[in-house]
Amino acid sequence: MEQLLQHLVNAIILGSTYALLGIGLTFIFGIMRVVNFAHGELYTFGAYMVYLFSVILGVNFLLAIAIAIVLGVLLGAAIEYTLLRKLRGADVDTTMLVMIGAWIIMQNGEQLIWSGVAKSIPTPFPEEPLSLGLVSVAWSRVFVFVVAIALIILAQTIIQRTRLGKAMRATFQDRDTAALMGININVIYLATFALGSGLASAAGALLGPIFIVMPTMGNLAVLKAFAIVILGGLGNMKGAAIGGFVLALVEEFGAGYVSSGYRDAMGFLLIILVLMVKPTGLFARSERIG
Amino acid sequence: MLEVENIECRYGKANVLHKVSVDVKQGELVTLIGANGAGKSSTLRAISGLLPPVSGRISFLGEDITNASPRRILEMGIAHCPEGRRIFPFMTVEENLEIGAYRRNDRKQIADDMDGVYHRFPVLGERRGQAAGTLSGGEQQMLAIGRALMSRPKLVIFDEPSLGLAPNNVQKTFDYIMEINRQGTTVLMVEQNAYAALEMCDRSFLLESGQIALHGRGEDLIRDQHVRRAYLGDEG
Repeated sequence: MEQLLQHLVNAIILGSTYALLGIGLTFIFGIMRVVNFAHGELYTFGAYMVYLFSVILGVNFLLAIAIAIVLGVLLGAAIEYTLLRKLRGADVDTTMLVMIGAWIIMQNGEQLIWSGVAKSIPTPFPEEPLSLGLVSVAWSRVFVFVVAIALIILAQTIIQRTRLGKAMRATFQDRDTAALMGININVIYLATFALGSGLASAAGALLGPIFIVMPTMGNLAVLKAFAIVILGGLGNMKGAAIGGFVLALVEEFGAGYVSSGYRDAMGFLLIILVLMVKPTGLFARSERIG
Repeated sequence: MLEVENIECRYGKANVLHKVSVDVKQGELVTLIGANGAGKSSTLRAISGLLPPVSGRISFLGEDITNASPRRILEMGIAHCPEGRRIFPFMTVEENLEIGAYRRNDRKQIADDMDGVYHRFPVLGERRGQAAGTLSGGEQQMLAIGRALMSRPKLVIFDEPSLGLAPNNVQKTFDYIMEINRQGTTVLMVEQNAYAALEMCDRSFLLESGQIALHGRGEDLIRDQHVRRAYLGDEG
């Protein structure tokens, strides 16, 4: 029982960051029809920025995370502006190849700048874990969970309530008609890619201090993000959020009760099963942003 | 008010419009008629900036808008109510109207205009919080028209407003468009129902294979032999 509860708590915490990753990716795909293979590199970028500001420059840990998220947003905007804007109207395959190129370039750039040696980021949280009756959780993980959930709610609020968010949803549902309503599609695409990238960067900034930071950390992250998006149904944000938690649960329980060596395989096994039974994803009944 | 002069448009390599010229004067209700694929929708898309012409010129209120963005053209005062209604199905009725007023900043007047739409179509008011995709076809058409009016246009372009509607809704839609026109908004409309289009308009243009074949007053075209045979089903 204790073990079960502990796995459950771990899964919920991990799931919150998976949801963050998946939402960013599905959001970009939903609105722009861009399969963003560089998503994992923004995750890596976020982690390295926390390392840079917190460890090397000695900035306050919380501030370093905030800076990493903001820089992730800016990097996303820069990628959209320099690469994707020129590919407007190109087919999905072309942008996919370009994003694979961006992935390779960014990862090798990280290797060049930071070397392949893994870095660790100390957190300012107490060593003593938070004890919740039968289970205990490290404070650093509680922090990750709280921030991740806050960011998911923030992203949801932007999309549902703000003028920009409404314009994003309109663009997602019907691009030509949105343009007829006076919506500047270029601005919407820029904001979409920046926001999605910011969420990926946030996930990296949050998980970097918990795990270790290295140039290839984005590879597994991007694969998992795709798995989450497929689980939730392409372009479905609620689906991606739920998909993130489902993936974390499967991984956590698979590792706990079956074999910890197969932790990462569990998730992909689940994807294969989902694709065999319901190829449109678990929540693709009404494809929508929001 | 609106002058379209000798425009040519292409989709890829295919020429869809060959030197099309159309003009609309302030306060008029002008229709474009013709068979499927004659270039009616393309003409409208060229005017609203979705399909910039490769040659020719379009001007509105004396200003050249040939290569202007859809946003700029909307700001100049042209609203486009697209074929098939194209409401945003997963957004609420109210959000659809808000998007219609996207380029405006005058909150107070936007709220007044929205109330105006709800007053004219109480059913939209009752369903303002409902996803627009759940409305009936007729209600969606009313929403699409209301949304186009939310930008306070000087000229409204309607593309096949009767398409896919039940007969009683078709009449309601035409009545509403004539009402908008009487209240001072200029109208340019594409309509497959040639008889209705010729009856309600001031002037009409007939498009055939991407060219203007005829134009004139509605009452004159309705008596034209060629129009009667080809578009009004007159056997004689």
